[in-house]
Amino acid sequence: MSKKRIVVICPGRGSYTRETSNYLKEYGAPANKSIQWMDDQRETQGLLSLTNLDRQNFKARTHMVGENASSLIYACSFSDFMSIDRTKYEIVSVLGNSMGWYTALVLSGAVSWENGFHLINTMGSMMKDELIGAQMIYPIVDDEWNIDQNMKDLVMSELTNAGAYLSINLGGFIVIGGDKSALKKLSKILPVKDKYPLIIPYHGAFHTPLLESISQSARKLIDPSIFNKPSIPLIDGTGKVWSPYASDPNQIMEYTLGHQVQNTYDFTSSVTVALKEFCPDKVLLLGPGNSLGAPVGQTLIGNNWLSLKSKQEFSNRQLADPFMISMGLRDQRKML
Amino acid sequence: MSLFNRAEVIDQNFTRWVESGNLPEAKSEQKLSKNDILKTDYISLFESQVISRHMDFHARKLKDRGECFYTIGSSGHEGNAVFGRIFSHKDMAFLHYRSAPFFLERAKQIPNSTPIYDMALSFMASSEDPISGGRHKVIGSEDLFIPPQTSTIASHLPKAVGTAFAIDRAKDLNLSESKLDNSSIVICSFGDASANHATALSAFNTACWISSQGGHVPIIFICEDNGTGISVPTEEEWIENNFSNRYGLEYLKVDGLDLVDLIVKSKKAEKICRVNRGPVFLHMKTIRLMGHAGSDIEVGYKSLKEIEEDEKNDPLLHSARIMIENNCLTKKEILSLYEQKRKQVGKVFEYATFRPKLKKANEVMSSIISNKHIRSRPNYPSLGKREKVFEKEFNRISIPQHMGKLINYALTDILLQYPNTVVFGEDVAQKGGVYHVTADLYKQFGIRRVFNSPLDETSIIGFGLGLGHNGFVPIPEIQFLAYLHNAEDQLRGEAATLPFFSEGRFTNPMVLRIPGLAYQKGFGGHFHNDNSLTIFRDIPGLILAVPSNGADAAKMLRTSVREAYENGRVVIFIEPIALYMTRDLYTEKDGKWLNVYPDIKEEVAVGEFMTYGNGRSLTIITYGNGLYLSLKAKKAIESKTKKKIKVIDLRWLAPINIPKIIASIGRCNKILIVDECRRTGCHGENIYLKLSQNSNKKLNIKLHASEDSFIPLGESATATLPSEESIINSALDLLSE
Repeated sequence: MSKKRIVVICPGRGSYTRETSNYLKEYGAPANKSIQWMDDQRETQGLLSLTNLDRQNFKARTHMVGENASSLIYACSFSDFMSIDRTKYEIVSVLGNSMGWYTALVLSGAVSWENGFHLINTMGSMMKDELIGAQMIYPIVDDEWNIDQNMKDLVMSELTNAGAYLSINLGGFIVIGGDKSALKKLSKILPVKDKYPLIIPYHGAFHTPLLESISQSARKLIDPSIFNKPSIPLIDGTGKVWSPYASDPNQIMEYTLGHQVQNTYDFTSSVTVALKEFCPDKVLLLGPGNSLGAPVGQTLIGNNWLSLKSKQEFSNRQLADPFMISMGLRDQRKML
Repeated sequence: MSLFNRAEVIDQNFTRWVESGNLPEAKSEQKLSKNDILKTDYISLFESQVISRHMDFHARKLKDRGECFYTIGSSGHEGNAVFGRIFSHKDMAFLHYRSAPFFLERAKQIPNSTPIYDMALSFMASSEDPISGGRHKVIGSEDLFIPPQTSTIASHLPKAVGTAFAIDRAKDLNLSESKLDNSSIVICSFGDASANHATALSAFNTACWISSQGGHVPIIFICEDNGTGISVPTEEEWIENNFSNRYGLEYLKVDGLDLVDLIVKSKKAEKICRVNRGPVFLHMKTIRLMGHAGSDIEVGYKSLKEIEEDEKNDPLLHSARIMIENNCLTKKEILSLYEQKRKQVGKVFEYATFRPKLKKANEVMSSIISNKHIRSRPNYPSLGKREKVFEKEFNRISIPQHMGKLINYALTDILLQYPNTVVFGEDVAQKGGVYHVTADLYKQFGIRRVFNSPLDETSIIGFGLGLGHNGFVPIPEIQFLAYLHNAEDQLRGEAATLPFFSEGRFTNPMVLRIPGLAYQKGFGGHFHNDNSLTIFRDIPGLILAVPSNGADAAKMLRTSVREAYENGRVVIFIEPIALYMTRDLYTEKDGKWLNVYPDIKEEVAVGEFMTYGNGRSLTIITYGNGLYLSLKAKKAIESKTKKKIKVIDLRWLAPINIPKIIASIGRCNKILIVDECRRTGCHGENIYLKLSQNSNKKLNIKLHASEDSFIPLGESATATLPSEESIINSALDLLSE
């Protein structure tokens, strides 16, 4: 039987939550040695080991800060990736959301897992002393997950007026980045819907020009030689495909330390390109958690993919024969 | 392996010969290391070549299953991937149909592009195809500045020249609505056989004509010379001999099988064109693989030895050799890439077969009139500005004048109101047109907005199409109706189809003025009195205006330009020559055919007709000269019969609002259609049919049209045409029934 062709998606910051505590304990076995190595590295730097963090009671101020959250999420995604049965699945492309880009670099082979750990640790710790700006999330879809164009236009226009930036295109959500006063202003202007607009705690103004200094620091701290050609097609946050043979490692470095730090991360486009240019049999979301489930589902609907036109149709499909498998969901993980 | 399935042979040859190292020898001396280009760039090009090849393979397989509807592939032409990389995606490209590698490579210049999927949808005629919506396999993309082409008969070349011209003209005029960068150039590709088309020759000629006068036409003509036009060979030296020494044209020859030579020469061509702003002819020698199309059996006209010789020179094999010689990729990596892409393309194509198709006529037709870039007309010019431009003539606009003069006034106001309008054609500038309708415009607006063209109608319309691609609303003039016929396809095949094939993403806004029709008192004979508008009758989406008097003409011309500007419409504006200077209607010096120039805000809506009288005994339906004669006849008929009749001036021959005409006819049941054009195929025929079909009562309709003849000289000039007398007689006959 031929292998199923899958696209692998790596989650970003905010995916390790109270609900995902003990994720490594439960699912980390395939990457035990690597996690042990990461723990050693962190302890040498005076940081809590990932194993410890994973087993501690979840505390936002501990688990959601950059220097802990990024590495923890990376370790979870990495071990999930290692557990994929490559005799059953062919990985046709890899992509991530935001910090998930760094994980995707590793999983595609563009950066070794050890260098990836340092890259993530370094980038995640950049704002250890003080966050630059903040992030806010807001939905732009109706109840059936179809884009509400009027709402989208309103949000885009208001965020520009407030001096904020489009940080992430996230399926049916827009993530806004900016300084705290701009986001405060916006939170008073945007219509309240359930818990939104929602300021994401412990997040900086990622993917906005406010992070120019972070980009400059990263270039000093990250050794450019860690970047290689990927061995699996890699899709970035502009929707560009970095192919295994035709990619220039120097350009990957430039994108990673430069462009994506300061410009919008278009997760919606990266998923769209993966669907259209690779037509996978399944889409696989790595853990921890399932925070990208809705944005991916919304992107499927936005592209009329598999002729799915609504949340209801998407849910029906997921129940009958899931196109998207979330490793962070126990029931779906079993399907692999 | 089947003798007839060359796709299979070529596919297997590639793997076998890469594995064995049995690769074709280099044809040029170029070395990769000497040209400042990254190895990864070459690999990227090779990747696009391989993807394109697999697209061709899969298209043929799916065609056999009835899933794919186009198999004219790019095999043999994969070198054009280089053009996709060297030229900026903002350099508008009018492409040959074998340009998939170009498209794939150019798409890499912008993020978030999905060229494999987009082309797959087009191959499968899916309604989700993002350019034509399932109407044609066309290579096109708005984001990549590639207007969709069918390009089968080189009909895209004249407009490519027009677009190139429009870049520098927009820069000179500081046009705020231009869409192309000032430094951009135009890419236009075609095959060796297409270089023989009259349209192609027209385009080369016009580009050189402008260039030789110091004008700017930054265009690279890329002739992809595979040596065969379907089954007819092109002599080895034909293209080179024909174009290498042409005045005003830079000629470069390049080996289309060699990526290195292609990059070096393309960069050179690009530099010459971008800096000199003049035409360049880039002659790419290549081969054609797998015949003309999927259904073409090449062994019917080529020997197996010749076919196999070409196959040994497969561009992919040449590229593989370059990859290996320059340590870009190993044999194993090449074959791995080749197989990965086979699988990837196969999956995308399979998925695309399941995507929805257009099913109903209304779905297909929804894009005939479409425009995704609707804009609102500019404000009317101020009184002060008008006074300044009109000068002393401004005092005369309130005096009744003939149609020629009022059209001239309307053009002045239009050029003033719309900074993106240009008037051009034969003799329209200094001379002011044969009938002085464009008099003074050159003086008022300068040579950049009012200019003469070469004596070539194909170029004139092509120019209009090209100008439209860069934000202009061109108002070209064809000097006489009979001259239009050699340029017909520029309207039929290009202008009218562009919104259809692009779902309104691209349009060709234009108002094409054509003096025409008969009744010129014996002057000129057929070629200056042509009385057939049949050519416009069946082209979907065109607006056809035929004013009969000056006031209507001015108002209709304003409507036409606004429709072109706001909605991207193509308007044909027929000006009855015989009425240009007509002053009187019933008696000498009665001045009843003169009009005061209407207020600048007045228009006549498209499709809106005019009624004269409200009698119910008889309705005459007519237009143009027919109205003039019918109004004369009306007076005589009413006087003779003491019955009141109504005359309808259609004003617009497309679209015609039949339900409104039926409503206007009301209780009258006798209809006389007076059509000054030749009976066969005239618009009157169509009206006759539609009234019969759509009226809910029985109508007694008579068509009084011209004889199916050409127009002679002298006293017999009107012998074949409806006259006042013949209209009276026809009306009396009908009234007596």
